[in-house]
Amino acid sequence: MSHTWNDMDDFDAFIDAGGMVEPHDAMPPEYRTEVFRFIEFHANSELMGGLTERDWIPRAPGVRLKQIFLAKTQDEIGHAHLLYQVAADMGVKSREQMLEELFAGQSRFHNVFHYQAVTWADQIAIAYLVDAAAFASQRAVFAECSYGPYKRVLKRIVAEEGFHMRHGEEMLLRLAEGTDTQRRMFQDALERWWWPAVQLFGPDSDPDDPMLRWKIKSQRNEHLRHAYLQKYVPLLQGYGFTIPDDNLRYDESADDGRGAWVTDDIDWEPLIATMRQGGPDSERRIATAAANHADTAWVREALERAAVAA
Amino acid sequence: MSTTTVHEAVHQALETVFDPEYPGVSIVELGLVEGVHVDRLGSVTVGLVPTFAGCPALDFIAADVDRAVRSVDAVTDCSVEWLRSPVWSTDRVAPSARRHLEREFTVTFRRADGSLRCPVCGSAAVADTSPAGPTRCRSLAWCPDCRNPVEVMR
Repeated sequence: MSHTWNDMDDFDAFIDAGGMVEPHDAMPPEYRTEVFRFIEFHANSELMGGLTERDWIPRAPGVRLKQIFLAKTQDEIGHAHLLYQVAADMGVKSREQMLEELFAGQSRFHNVFHYQAVTWADQIAIAYLVDAAAFASQRAVFAECSYGPYKRVLKRIVAEEGFHMRHGEEMLLRLAEGTDTQRRMFQDALERWWWPAVQLFGPDSDPDDPMLRWKIKSQRNEHLRHAYLQKYVPLLQGYGFTIPDDNLRYDESADDGRGAWVTDDIDWEPLIATMRQGGPDSERRIATAAANHADTAWVREALERAAVAA
Repeated sequence: MSTTTVHEAVHQALETVFDPEYPGVSIVELGLVEGVHVDRLGSVTVGLVPTFAGCPALDFIAADVDRAVRSVDAVTDCSVEWLRSPVWSTDRVAPSARRHLEREFTVTFRRADGSLRCPVCGSAAVADTSPAGPTRCRSLAWCPDCRNPVEVMR
């Protein structure tokens, strides 16, 4: 049984009433294109994020942390795999085309994967701060999410990312309770990663954003960033770290008089640069991902042959 | 409390420990709990079986078990041991957990004859796509009927 809709008003009413769109439904082309783009972006980000974690498997201090980074890498690559399947099924681009475009530097992925992780503390800042921002935005998508297959995959992704958060907190605590050198390392990393994490949510959404109307996003970008700041500003300050924003303040009148942490005006240029693959580390990251894909062709080939033989 | 009552209370406490990657599914249902021993002084030993030796969740599970067991009144001490045998298999997963995983997480189990059923639409056309899923304990499959990716516990 599949759904058809008479016109866009009919479709919007269906979504508004909590309806779920499935692959066989005659969804409006605009919805198909927008949802596809969103999932492709998410898949690219999981893949690029997984490769970042992979870089740190050999460098992670100790067997246990290597094991954790190995598992996290597998998680992210697995998530990418599932998301590419869902995206390819929408019939806009094949999986091969998506990967080809990503490796050719023609596709977008999360801004935070356009920067270099300089030290181990950077990787912890990513696990603690950046992943938390990405997690908050994924959870907000999962909360409504009108596209069935995406929602089902998100359910598992969100559960696994919640587990990653625990690792991030544990690793941060080690540095926060460590020596002066360890604390300084994290402070330096915080200075590199704070703004990219805050920018990750993107400029505030247009209230007419179709992604809000079609319940792919459940909240405006600014709302998500606001909630994130209220949680992470006090936590980081509580650990005694300094957030690199001279104008960061607690505004008693903000949030309709309830009071809230407010940042300085956000400079969007760095985010815009990453969306054009012009971030500080974009070129190297994309080249590394492309080389990795080429180097592992034999694994995919071996798996295919094994599948044919079975 | 007698050791039998403590034993029961510990078991109940363990049922509240969820797998870190499957909220709502307890480690008891997943077949991770192999044995609980309570001595006369209220000292508890819990023997657990890992799904895979390299599972990154082991430390968190052990910490959660420790906390849950110590919350039982008559318990004076707790130690958690990861056992090397028996080896965990999907046979140890309770029907309640299977249903929960299928319904809530689109994660399914191979039938005795090796076949699969889609946890979304029930189709028998589900086919394996990759032996490597996001975790060591899951592989990937695809349902061509409802067009959903499915994960298989192994």
